[in-house]
Amino acid sequence: MSLCLKSFTLICHSIKNPQLTCVRNRYHAEKIAKGPLLRRYGYKDKILQSGTLPHVDGPPISMPVYRPKNAWCEKRALFGQNDYIDILGNGELHPTRILYNVQSWLRGVQGNEYQILLRKRKVFNKGIVPIARPSKWKDLNKRIKYLYRFLNRKTKTGMSSD
Amino acid sequence: MIFWVHLLNVTGSSSSLSTTAIMPRVLAYPPKYKRVQQAWVENLDTVEEQKLGLIDLHPDVFGAQPRIDIIHENIEWQTKYRQVRYDHTKTRAEVRGGGRKPWPQKGTGRARHGSIRSPLWRGGGLSHGPRSPKTYFYMLPFYTRVHGLISCLSVKLAQDDLHIVNSLEIPTDDPKYIEDLVDSRTWGPSVLLVDEMDIMPRNITAATDSILHYNLMPVYGLNVYSMLKHDTLVLTLAAVNRIEEKLLYQLNRPDICNVVKKYELNQNG
Repeated sequence: MSLCLKSFTLICHSIKNPQLTCVRNRYHAEKIAKGPLLRRYGYKDKILQSGTLPHVDGPPISMPVYRPKNAWCEKRALFGQNDYIDILGNGELHPTRILYNVQSWLRGVQGNEYQILLRKRKVFNKGIVPIARPSKWKDLNKRIKYLYRFLNRKTKTGMSSD
Repeated sequence: MIFWVHLLNVTGSSSSLSTTAIMPRVLAYPPKYKRVQQAWVENLDTVEEQKLGLIDLHPDVFGAQPRIDIIHENIEWQTKYRQVRYDHTKTRAEVRGGGRKPWPQKGTGRARHGSIRSPLWRGGGLSHGPRSPKTYFYMLPFYTRVHGLISCLSVKLAQDDLHIVNSLEIPTDDPKYIEDLVDSRTWGPSVLLVDEMDIMPRNITAATDSILHYNLMPVYGLNVYSMLKHDTLVLTLAAVNRIEEKLLYQLNRPDICNVVKKYELNQNG
């Protein structure tokens, strides 16, 4: 309807002003050549929604370079040395007294979490830890109290807490 | 009890094969029902092998039944007993914050919660995570370890990986000398050299210092793991005497009740 009106007004215009010619500045072919109108700018359509996703955006992450461990470094070459010192030595020294890489209060200790925490409290009670690390000390005591109640009231005797 | 006296007459490096250089060994606790094991005594003075003599080895130490299961138990023990895991996670009581009830129990349309650090929440504590130092310490029975050593030595001798040497004296401190020696005698890629004392001659320490797979060890450092890690085991005559003396004593001691007791903490071993 509006198209009819437009053409009618153009015809009327040309009749009134016969020297005017209509000039097109836009051509349909150019519009088609430009392509479809870009809608939803910046939107990334996620085609792959789940599973292992490929690294298509950003730099590719390659496998790390293989660095074989040195099987004959000093630590590994002499691993286990002195473990039989009570058999092959004079019998006074026990292998637990040679575990220099283990914290001194943990040498020769075996037990579940509750037993180890009790030992930790017994050992560190005498030092600076309760004064220098009050929050940690409080957490230790809280954990011991909780484990006492849990193991003695909620579990059968002989169950480990690990 | 018969205490044997060991007389060793070590000659200089220029001696050729002479069976009188090494005195025959007298074995303690003479074996009654087992055949005596024997081994050559070689030299380290020259690159070429020279056999200096033949010595007897006690079958209870070097000719025992090779118990693979005991050797395996020993290896497992050596790997595990010194292991401590230090990984640790905080529980809901230890994570910072989370004392207040985040929103009232009823009224808000949200789920009911008591603290923002419960294990249900992001950033909350872990209920069953790893906790503080975890030790895997245990002691094998004393005689399992003794028999581990005995089995391993027997295996090494039976498989031709055990060599006995008069002493660890070598003429130069050049690493190439030891490499040539080991190559010419096909002693295996890795060699463990065991002497009686922990202070070794200067030349051998300098020569093996740069080569990581030739290692020196005193007798008290000997263990099943190292014997299996190194392909060849080279013992000096003094080391053989010391090892036999110690292991035979452990096998025949009158007070085993003192050593087979369960391990107690803080009892000085």
